[in-house]
Amino acid sequence: MLFDESSLRKLQQLTLVTARVRAGALRGERRSLKRGAGLEFADFRDYVPGDDLRRVDWNVYARLDRPYVKLREEEEDLAVHILVDASQSMDWGEGPQHKFNYALHLAAAVGSIGLSTGDRVTVSTLKTSEVYQTSEVSLRGQQYLLHLLKFLEAQQAAGITDLENAVRRYLIRPRRPGLVILISDLLSPHGYQPALKTLQQRGHEVALVHVLSPDEVDPPLAGDLRLIDVETGGAQEVSLDGGLRDAYRERVKAWRNEAQAFCRARGVRYLAVETDRAWDEVVLYDMRKARMVK
Amino acid sequence: MNFLAPAALALSALAIPIIIFYMLKLRRREVTVSSTLLWQLVLRDRQANAPWQRLRRNLLLLLQLLILAALILALARPALSVPAIASGSSVIVLDASASMNATDVAPSRFEAARRAAHSTIEALPAEAPVTVIVAGQQPQVIASAETDRGAIKRALDEAQPTNGAANWTAALALAAGALSRQTDQPTTIIISDGGLPQDLPPLPGEVRYVPIGQSSDNLSLTALSLRPTKNGAELFASVTNHSAVDRSVILSVYRGETLLSSQLLDLKAGAAQQVILNDLPREPAIYQARLSRPDQSDQPVDVLTLDDTAFAVNNPAGARRVLLVSPGNVFLEQLLAAIPDLQAFRVVPQKDGTLQMPTDEFDLYVFDGLLPDDLPFQPTLLINPPQNSVLRVNGVFSDTANARVLDSPVTRNVNWSNVHVREAKYIDPPQWAKTLVTSNGGPLVLIGDTGVRRIGAITFDLHDSDLPLQVTFPILLVNLIDYLAPGRSFNAPAGVSPGASVIIRPDLSVDTVAIASPSNQIYTVRSGGGEVVFKDTQELGAYGVTLISGDQQAIDYFAVNLFDPAESDLHPEAAIRIGQSQITSAQSDETGWQEWWSWLAALALLILLIEWWVYHGRKRL
Repeated sequence: MLFDESSLRKLQQLTLVTARVRAGALRGERRSLKRGAGLEFADFRDYVPGDDLRRVDWNVYARLDRPYVKLREEEEDLAVHILVDASQSMDWGEGPQHKFNYALHLAAAVGSIGLSTGDRVTVSTLKTSEVYQTSEVSLRGQQYLLHLLKFLEAQQAAGITDLENAVRRYLIRPRRPGLVILISDLLSPHGYQPALKTLQQRGHEVALVHVLSPDEVDPPLAGDLRLIDVETGGAQEVSLDGGLRDAYRERVKAWRNEAQAFCRARGVRYLAVETDRAWDEVVLYDMRKARMVK
Repeated sequence: MNFLAPAALALSALAIPIIIFYMLKLRRREVTVSSTLLWQLVLRDRQANAPWQRLRRNLLLLLQLLILAALILALARPALSVPAIASGSSVIVLDASASMNATDVAPSRFEAARRAAHSTIEALPAEAPVTVIVAGQQPQVIASAETDRGAIKRALDEAQPTNGAANWTAALALAAGALSRQTDQPTTIIISDGGLPQDLPPLPGEVRYVPIGQSSDNLSLTALSLRPTKNGAELFASVTNHSAVDRSVILSVYRGETLLSSQLLDLKAGAAQQVILNDLPREPAIYQARLSRPDQSDQPVDVLTLDDTAFAVNNPAGARRVLLVSPGNVFLEQLLAAIPDLQAFRVVPQKDGTLQMPTDEFDLYVFDGLLPDDLPFQPTLLINPPQNSVLRVNGVFSDTANARVLDSPVTRNVNWSNVHVREAKYIDPPQWAKTLVTSNGGPLVLIGDTGVRRIGAITFDLHDSDLPLQVTFPILLVNLIDYLAPGRSFNAPAGVSPGASVIIRPDLSVDTVAIASPSNQIYTVRSGGGEVVFKDTQELGAYGVTLISGDQQAIDYFAVNLFDPAESDLHPEAAIRIGQSQITSAQSDETGWQEWWSWLAALALLILLIEWWVYHGRKRL
């Protein structure tokens, strides 16, 4: 799952975009952060390979002959929560179009952006059935990129996930309000809206990446079928002809439009992605267009 | 519309299990999907119209029910009642004589008869066996107690009219045979334009007659022949007007491609007129007579064109004329007189020893111990020849023992073992000569072609041998004469009627006979000296017979003409006579059934194909 050098370099030039949340969060937690004061010096720490050279304090380096990086207060303040839906329905698709792997790629990319800009990045897979501690990691700093990737590589999609329950479980631990990037197919038995509402109620700014595989958008199916839900095991009988297929395609389109409208109404940034599009293009172009990164 | 097997409609109940199978949805393929959530949403949208909607939407079910319906209807055998000539097993006799080529019924009488046969068969019940006999010169059974309508149709479509008269006696004998094989009482249907002989034997069962033809408008050449006269040849032609009105017609006579005569004939209804042309050249030639319209248009002169043209061959050969020049030889004289197809003449030397040769030509000259001053240019047989310009005589020899016979067509069946010759003239065999019999002392029998004439030679005086007393003598002489002056290979002076056999008897040297029909179809037979029977004389016109012996060819002709007043008389007969009963035109007083099941079966097949296409089309989607 490692990125190649050029992709990583491109990612490191990006920054995660947040609008309201950071200010809101800072008000409660920071001592006296006023406008323009965000450039306050906070601390030094040792330079580690991968740190932006612009942040090295050259005066200290000249004096001590060791590179130190200046830490500034405001950069610690963005808490980035990357939530990846790990329900069984995400375990779908072949090869590079596999939804969960694709979602992990996106999580890794977003996480690496967060790490490179010194944000606190918490990555968690949303599962109802598992103990949450084992499925999340919280990191800061460029040096933990490998750590992040290793964590993501170890994740598996399994079980039934009710998005709302999973989000509530995630929020049981006190979480610093920040930017929540939710990567999910939204195929949750009780809908996705409560989960988004819950996150916003806790003061998070939410961005939703809606991942679907192409055969979910336009299923290559025909005839009299008994459809088995891979996640719930439930069956649905359909006699699939041209008309019903058209109706399904229309339904998927309408469903995505509903999700987009819901998100727009609640100030959630929304991006619909199909897994046949290269993930780096999604990060570099589509997310930028959706104002999730810049 | 009736159903001949309405019980089959009970099979409609099969629709119930089909619908039940659809309701139960027994054959659903299980497919795993990431989530059924969206499918449930889609189906919820559609639930409003269920369950009728489901059936309506299911094209495959609809198509399957349609297939079932078409098949059940086909099994029930829907049929329309139509008036028919016969209603059970039938024997159809189809007239294929020359008159059926007439075009007074478009496109021809035979086509009309074929159509009548088709419609008669279609109106018969599907299981009724049908026998079809085509009455030509050699009647043929083209379908025998056949129930397969397709096979009958194909056989009927292949039948063709002939150019000659029909052999009705044989055709009705075949029909009687077919009738006797069937247990029920079949109907015999004769489809003809009449012209049946009056003395036909009766047929068992019911006989029906379907007359064909409307017009009797026909002019025919009823005779065209040539005979030799003193001044050459004389041509005789006869033209008959068979129609009911007076007609004018132009008779043109051609010799090869050259127009000899063209004259306008005015013929009263039913009258005939003869034309004679005299002083025609003696040489062999093909003569052709044609009838055409006085207005010179290209339209045929009448509705039957077969009898508007006739051919005749002038071949004055006849009997071969042989001149025997001999001081007296009873053996030769008797033998020549005994050979058929041979006219023998004799010349004896005058008292002073001179020869007075006749001025006219002969086909063969036989010189027995004598020779004229100049040898004729015709084939010549020399017996005991004196010194002459063609064969050099070098004295005599008497050692004639140990004779050997060369294997040749001329020596076929010749047995020399008992022949004794006292003395023979020694002749040096020239280059062109072939020695047929040779002895220790020299040749005894020679033949050859000098390039000017054919020559045969027996080198000894017949009186000096016991040859004339042997059976071999007539055999050898006939073979020699056939070699030197071959006769006509066949005898057909008055022409041949269509379909009749021509027997060709080539002489012994002929190894191949090639016969060219008027349309230039070539038939080649290796005769090997035997006779050849040629039967393919259907086509009217002049046939060329080429006799090939080695690299030599001889060509002769014979003509095939329709000189049959009964066929040329196209007057449609309203009734025919079979046995003692007069049979008039059949009325369609029976009820036949025209069945439609084959269309329904085809429809079922078509829907099945559509269903297959729809089914696979869906799977592909």
